[in-house]
Formats: sequence, structure tokens, C-alpha cells
Amino acid sequence: MSKLYPVQEIGSLAKPRWRTKGLTQPLSSKDLVEAEEWAKRLDIPDFQDRAKQLLAAQQQNDRVRELLELSTIYGLKLFEQTGLDNVGVGGEQQRVEMYEHVIRGVEGMRVLGHVQSFDYKYFNKAVAESKIHRRHPIYLQEFLDVKENAKGQLKVPITGPYTLIDWSFSGHYSGGRIGLTLKKQKQETKREFLLDFVEQVIRPEIRDLVDAGAEWIQIDEPAITTHPEPADMELFVEGWNETVRGFNCKFSDHTCYPSEIGYKVLAQYAPQLDKCSHLALEFANRDGTSLGVDAKHREGYRDLEYFIQNGYDGEFGVGVVHVHDFSGHVPPSSGKEVGLNILESPELVRDRLLYAAKVVGDPERIWANPDCGLRTRTWDVTFAKLISTVKGAELAREASS
Amino acid sequence: MSPKAQLGGIYPRSEQLIELTRSYDRAKTDLESVKKQVEQDILELIKLQDDSGFETFSDGAFAWQDQLRPIVESLDGVTNGTRYDRWFDTNTFYKKPTIIGKISVRGFEPKNFIRTDLLPRTKNWKVTLPGPYTFSELSENLHYPSQSDLLDAIASAEHEIINKLKDAGVSRFQLSEPCLVYRPYREQALGKAELDSALRAIQKTVDGVQAKFSVHTYFGDATTILTDLLRLPIDTVGFDLFETDYSKLKIETTKKIALGIIDGRESNAENPEWIAETAHRVSKHVTGGDFVLVPNSDLKFVPRKVADVKARALAEATRLFEEGR
Repeated sequence: MSKLYPVQEIGSLAKPRWRTKGLTQPLSSKDLVEAEEWAKRLDIPDFQDRAKQLLAAQQQNDRVRELLELSTIYGLKLFEQTGLDNVGVGGEQQRVEMYEHVIRGVEGMRVLGHVQSFDYKYFNKAVAESKIHRRHPIYLQEFLDVKENAKGQLKVPITGPYTLIDWSFSGHYSGGRIGLTLKKQKQETKREFLLDFVEQVIRPEIRDLVDAGAEWIQIDEPAITTHPEPADMELFVEGWNETVRGFNCKFSDHTCYPSEIGYKVLAQYAPQLDKCSHLALEFANRDGTSLGVDAKHREGYRDLEYFIQNGYDGEFGVGVVHVHDFSGHVPPSSGKEVGLNILESPELVRDRLLYAAKVVGDPERIWANPDCGLRTRTWDVTFAKLISTVKGAELAREASS
Repeated sequence: MSPKAQLGGIYPRSEQLIELTRSYDRAKTDLESVKKQVEQDILELIKLQDDSGFETFSDGAFAWQDQLRPIVESLDGVTNGTRYDRWFDTNTFYKKPTIIGKISVRGFEPKNFIRTDLLPRTKNWKVTLPGPYTFSELSENLHYPSQSDLLDAIASAEHEIINKLKDAGVSRFQLSEPCLVYRPYREQALGKAELDSALRAIQKTVDGVQAKFSVHTYFGDATTILTDLLRLPIDTVGFDLFETDYSKLKIETTKKIALGIIDGRESNAENPEWIAETAHRVSKHVTGGDFVLVPNSDLKFVPRKVADVKARALAEATRLFEEGR
């Protein structure tokens, strides 16, 4: 991109109540009050006509299709209004979430039940009951809707195969190995499961997206930095390289919330990732809130050094705003706390970008983005954070010129 | 012969309890309903253990939000904050304890650790706690001048908690020490000085308590430290068979070996015959000691119905194992 510090989103937005409710039951005009308010703020075209269509939809399938398309338009408009240079797929409004959305489209995978993630939060975990293959296109319809309605540059985030198999039980792939230690058996199982997932599910999906015009695919692999052992990192690289083989498309990796040495290990292997020209990483979460462009103030961004030391020569999508609950001190010049949120000031975003550019040694390789998808924040907070990111990028451009 | 199988740690919540806790989280269900379902989950697990012939009962720790939380909430000088960290290489998280002052036990409530009011009096009761080394490694120390001082303070606090739990009727304690064997987060292998320090802390934790103790390691290979663990004044040492290459083991001991032989991170239910056969193979590497068959880790990483099948298989396998000896 010609301009310095372009701004991108990473993936998800919170799903509006009307979108979630409407997927399972008919909506009333009362349900659409919030939609109407945001329609005015975001300048949604033909809202009244679309609302009438939604309320009149007798068939659930018609209502769901209309809801998914409309909520995607809302997401795109929100991103466009905040001034993002890349609007992704409008906040992943057509997905359940990053894991289950894919699993539902895979023959041979069965959701087994819930597992605790933390406290009273859970995730559904699936098992491979037989050899897997793709049941139907998973992201294609969403991309077609986005392509039809978006004005800005697009990027399709997809969940990476390593993460999908790491978060699943391998079931069918576990059997039939003898003469190895149990640990070796598990590693062999993981490899077979991964490569089948790549071949049977992920590559067909990428083929469809590329054929439909996708030019940039972001592969989300949060699981990889939780396994910083060489065997797993080598498996990740093998799976990645097989995933992207032969496609003419920009690929980027998004990884976040690593273990203590997660980025350090990822940095060693990143140069081996074929066609991976961009790494979007979370940093704001681990950074201080004082202004400053030196290592002392920007402690959270130090791990960038590892990627440079190891010779990674692509772009960096640098997480400059936090996407989870926040508690801590925020100096007035760096933003403010609103409830459980920190609203970072443009100046704090600027300093984070400038420091990242200093470490990388080239501002042309730096993009600005939230740490991760913003699904855990309200749309008001999301809007404020993205506006701040865009303004912060402008300030960084001014400082770099 | 009675089966020698035990459960330990956090057992997965039932789908009913999960639904209620989610609803409670959204302020749509009251806490009483959640508590009732917790009791129901405990009673179901008791029945499973009873029907399967277990002698030592766990209550499932269904109310525990993570493996460290009840300890943290029983201590002064330690806070939870809002920071969640990943539980080793699983896709689950724990609230990272922050050490902000001198550690001491306060307001201890046995019910927060084990529901003795629901467990049968005719059975032994078991509680699983994080070992002092693992607790210290997973905490952020903002108070003690060294990690060794922190370790010492945690050992003292856990010792006190264990004594109180013993007074409440608990007869067996499992101290889980995955940090002794899971090292990729640390860039160096566990050195002798650090291991000695951890062993001293475990010794201090159990010292003088008239109860039975096991130290259990998981998520890593325990071969290099098993001999050291077997020297501790405890009756059982456990390890994760899915990570430990037992072919290299040659153990002489009078203690019990707790074989982590069902995999808490995989949904396939191990066949009882396979469990018994594998345990028999491992037994050839052990002279003198006896075996207890256990899950390799908490079973909270699999859905409840999967855990139930695994727990029953474990009990059945112990019978087969005894028959085959």
C-alpha cells in the first residue's frame, strides 16, 4: 500500500441483538429499534425497505439470508465510516464464531459437547468421527456479499488448519499406530489430521475464494503459539506451506495472546512460511499506557525484534488497541477508561506505531490494527477505538513525513 | 480385589450445569439454581464412583473456576486481578494469581474445596490441589524478594489449608505439579537447584500431616525426576503416560505409582483391555511398588459424557489388571 500506516480490522465485530435473535425467531419492529439507530449513524441504504422485508419474511431461510446480508452491510459501513483502509469481511457477521463455523461445514466432524474455557465461558468441541471432507463452501457466500457491498479493500480472515485440529479431538485419526510411544502416536495422529484438514477442507475453500476474486486471505492461527515445541512448530509450517501451495493470492497470518515465549518461537519459524507476506500480531494487551516511543515505554512491542533478528521481511499488522476488559492506570494523554474498556487516544496509537516502525526499521512495513477481533466490545466502543486507530495512524504519518 | 482407580482434579460440568452457569452469567438465572445443579452434578459423580467400585472419592470440584482459584481465594496477600493466562497448552484459561503481600490463610471454608456434606462417610475423600511449585510458577510475584521465598510461603499456606481439610475429613491429597515436567514456556530445563527447592516445598507442604499424599505430574515427561519424587515422604507418585516414555524407566520402590493412563485431552474412550494391558507393560519396569490407575490430568478438557465413559473404563481396567497379575 502506498500510504504509510494503513489501518485494517482483524476479524469479528459483536453481533447486534436483532441479528442474533432473528436467526432463530421472527422479529418485531421493536427488535429493529437499535438497527434503525445504527442505520442513521452508518447511513445504511434502503433501511426502511429492508426492515419491511425482514418483518414480512415468512420463511426462516429468507429471513436468515436477509439478516446475514444486512448485518454484513452494517459491519462494512461501520468499518468504512471509521476510515479503515481494509474492511475485511465486515466483522464476520455470517459466522457463528471462528471454530464452530468451520466445523459445521465439515463432514466427519461431530460436535461432542461443551468444555470450559474459563469461569462460566465454554466452547463446543468436536471430534473427527471419520475421514473428513468439506460438506459445503464455508466462507464463500459471505465473501460474495462483501464483494457486492464493500467499497474498500477486502481481506478474508479464515481459521487456520492448525488451530482447527488443535481445538478438536482427533478421534478417527488416532487409531492404528503401534510400536511408537504414546506421545509419538499423538504427534503422528496430529500430522495426519492436519494434512487431511488442509487437503479436504481448507484448500478447497481457498480455491473457491480465490476463484471468486479474493486477493488477500488472513489465516488465523492463535493455537500455534501455545505449542512452542519444535515438533509442533515444524508441523505448523508444513501445514501452512501445504495450505498456500499454488495459490496466487496475498496471505497473512494472525496470531495473538501467545505463551511467554510464543512470539520468540514463532519468529524463528515465520521466515519459513511460504507466501506469508504479513503478520498481524497482538501487542497492545501487553503494553504500558504512557506515551513514548522508546523501549521503556513500549515494552509490549519488544518481541517484534525477534522477527527482525530472524530475518522475517514481510509486513507487520501491529495491534495498537486492546480488545478485552481493561483495568489499570490510563494517563489522560493516553486515553480514558470507560467501564471495563480503555479508549486509547490517537497519541498512544501513534507512539505504538512509531516505536514498531523504529524496531522494524521501515515504516512502510507497518499496518495498524486492533489486537484481535473486536467481538467482545460494544459497537460504540468499537467505533471509538477504530476512529482512534485511524487518527493515530494519521499522526504517525505526520510524524514520519 | 477392589479396584485401585482414582479420579482427581476438576471433572467436567454437565451440559445442564453449563447451561445454567451461562444463564447465570447473563443474569437470567439465580445463583441458587446453579448451586442446586452443582450438587446434582456431585451426586451423579458420587454414584458413578460408587457403581464403578472406587474406594477413594472425589467430588468433581464442579464449582472451581480453575485449578488455582479456591487456594487464591483463601489467602491474604494474593489477588486474582482480571488477567487470564492459558492453562499450559490447552485452550482453557486460569486467572493468574498476583502476589501482592505476605501470604497467609484467611477465612478458610472447606466447602469451597470439597463438599464433604454430600460425600459418603464410608469412603475416603480426596482433594486435588496445585502443588506449591506449580502455584508459584503460575503466579506473578510482586512481593517476595525471590521465587524461593514465594515457594516457601505458598508451601506454608498450603500446609495449613491441608491440615484444615484433613480436620474436615479429607484423607487423601493429590498435589499436581505439571510445572515440574512441562517446560517449553521456560527456556531452560529444570535445574537441580530448582528441583531441590521444589521438593523441599512439597516436603514442607505435607510435613507432619496424618493423611495420604500423591504428587502427580502431567503434560510432560517425568522420567528424569521420578526417582527424586519417589524420595518424598508421600505414598504415591503419578505421571502422565501420554507424555512419559516408560520404556526407559526402571523403578524400584515401595510406593504406589499413579499411572495417568486415560487421556484427559482426547475424546477417544480408552478400551479397558488396552488400559489393563498397557498398565501391565509399564508394571514390568517397576519393582516393588503397587499401581493406581488415574487420568493423566483433570478431565475438564473433555465434555462430561466423554469423561463418564473414561472414568468407567478406568475402573473396569483396574479389575482386569488385577485379574491379569
